[in-house]
Amino acid sequence: MKIELIEKIEGEAFLDVSCRQGKVRDAYVRFPHYRGIEKILVGRDPLDALVINPRVCGICGHAHLQATVRTLEKLAGFEPNEKVKKIREITRFCEMVQNHIKWFYLVVFDRLGLTYDFRTVHVMIQKINMLAAIFSGQWPHSSYALPGGVTCDPSQLEILQAKRLVQSVREHFVLLVGAFDIKNLSKDLKRLYDRLEERDLLYTGKSLDRFITFGSDSYVQSSKILHGKVRPAKLHNIREFGQEKSHAKGVTYKGKFYETGPLARTMLRGDLFVKQLHRRYKDSITTRIFARIYEVGTLLKKIDEHLRTIDISEPSYTPLEIPDGETMSAIEAARGSLIHKVCIEKGKIAEYVIITPTQWNLSNAKNGESSIIKKALIGAQCEATDIIFRSFDICSVCTTH
Amino acid sequence: MRPKVIWLQGVTCNGNSHSFVNLPDIEDCLRRYDWLYHPVLPSSCTLDELSDKECDILVLEGGLKPGWRKGEFDLEKLFLRLAKRAKKVVAVGSCAVYGGVFREYDENITGVLFSGAQKTKHYKSLAQKTVNIPGCPAHPEWIAFALDAERVKLDTYNRPKELYAYTVHSGCMRNEYFEWKVDAEQFGTKEGCLYYRQGCQGPFTHGSCNKILWNETASKTRVGTPCFGCTEPDFPKRDLFATKTYMGIPATMPLGVPKRAYLTITGIAKSFHIPRLHKRLFDED
Ligand code: SF4
Ligand code: SF4
Repeated sequence: MKIELIEKIEGEAFLDVSCRQGKVRDAYVRFPHYRGIEKILVGRDPLDALVINPRVCGICGHAHLQATVRTLEKLAGFEPNEKVKKIREITRFCEMVQNHIKWFYLVVFDRLGLTYDFRTVHVMIQKINMLAAIFSGQWPHSSYALPGGVTCDPSQLEILQAKRLVQSVREHFVLLVGAFDIKNLSKDLKRLYDRLEERDLLYTGKSLDRFITFGSDSYVQSSKILHGKVRPAKLHNIREFGQEKSHAKGVTYKGKFYETGPLARTMLRGDLFVKQLHRRYKDSITTRIFARIYEVGTLLKKIDEHLRTIDISEPSYTPLEIPDGETMSAIEAARGSLIHKVCIEKGKIAEYVIITPTQWNLSNAKNGESSIIKKALIGAQCEATDIIFRSFDICSVCTTH
Repeated sequence: MRPKVIWLQGVTCNGNSHSFVNLPDIEDCLRRYDWLYHPVLPSSCTLDELSDKECDILVLEGGLKPGWRKGEFDLEKLFLRLAKRAKKVVAVGSCAVYGGVFREYDENITGVLFSGAQKTKHYKSLAQKTVNIPGCPAHPEWIAFALDAERVKLDTYNRPKELYAYTVHSGCMRNEYFEWKVDAEQFGTKEGCLYYRQGCQGPFTHGSCNKILWNETASKTRVGTPCFGCTEPDFPKRDLFATKTYMGIPATMPLGVPKRAYLTITGIAKSFHIPRLHKRLFDED
């Protein structure tokens, strides 16, 4: 048994692996750190969660903010207007884009020993965060969305600035990665593909080929794929369980493990580029990595569409009372579905539960059911564990919150 | 020789690491120092390799907690060993400065020099070389300033005056509404001040959020979000979206302003009704 420390994954994780003849025989994931976010919330005013919850995670705090907002709105039976929906999606998609770009270059390219144009990558990250800040005031850690709407009241000038920023990021992106044409890969996509081929990694890291998404927005609808069939996914079928020696809980849907994240979303959307890769490489690291970077293009397009169609004369906010009660809801974060559950009693938070995307992807096996990470690792070359692990874009801080 | 930098993480959400990546000329910053370790940016060592390393500038993001592991090390021991030899320690973000939000779960989580507003046992040995950059997260420009700064004036919490002598209120676009005591009736508008009802802590929070804008673009109050006072030792207080009042008067006064002075001035300000400040900014006439 060998213990690998996996670092630079938004915190750290330990991977206990046993190898025989160069192949992985068994694997167990442990997350070391716990910070007590769910406990901190108890007894507080529900709106305080809008400030506390983004602090679960420095790279996807925005998703935590919006999961909080949607959960509280669901409790009040409130649906926001189109303007509010669009603004929230714009900033959340910005967060996903910056995440994917960082991961693609600072993690995947770095690990595979590929060089990249750091300056352009950085300009894209900086500009997409700047776009978010037009609405959210700052990135990271904004609390600009609240039950009933958003605090900002953007003007035409700001919409124009935002349009210029998204245009610029789109141009840089195409220049770096080329077109998503499977027969004609070029630039960084081609360099990545060639490197995976050289290292004999194209077919590695295949998992259970089951996908799930709980968030619903203008980009993806909540559903799951089991044995190639698409079905609706219902929140009440989710179960969490404790795991030995780890601060992360495991999670299943009707007792089974599912993969969540960009690969799941693009498969559920039926994006042709990803489906073509999947036909050939199934849910290997190749499809998983390419799906995530493919999503950047689609999300940038969505942001642009929203900026073109938003009607800023609609109100930004409708006053809303949060009633007592219990509910849960989900939102799509960079790494997959993020679920928040709340119970409010006498106007205060009595209980709060957070289930993060990495919990889905990195649960350890249970009751004879193989899990996503375990299946992806077992049988793989021992040297490939690091890249397989990272292909899921792990977030340790989220997972242990 | 470029100064060697190690950026360590304690009990944290990684927000300061990502905030720092937003620095516009980050390449310059990467070239100017020899980065041995950073959790996100390219750097030359792995965590395990830090055991026998030394650095000139030690950055800590996140709180210290007894027994907290960093890879195979005990975080606090590793931090103290590196800090002893370092020329400068920079505590980045409110967790590294005071313990921060996670202190509410476990009081054993502290900052380098402060545990909330109290001095820690490291104060004596480290106060001389430590620069505190609180904020949740800290602004990238503030972090870059602290890395570079030598002999800067610090306040009682070891915060550079250059950054924290201002209040968040200075430079807010809503100042005129504050002056004439026109409150924002609700969230989601450009108009009105957030001090009277929405809980804005800008007038008594040290920070340059409205001078050095976030992401070169905005700030909380500029997009209608109240300031939550994240640079102060008591962050996060409770009931953050509402102003605590006594008999209709905000419980916490603007920094250094006696209640009597405040009441006199606002009494007069309120007695004038300035129609322009009660209309929507972009309204048709
Ligand atoms: S909103 Fe806050 S920072 Fe802005 S003027 Fe009012 S009190 Fe000052
Ligand atoms: S505006 Fe207030 S809460 Fe926001 S970052 Fe600045 S000091 Fe912190």
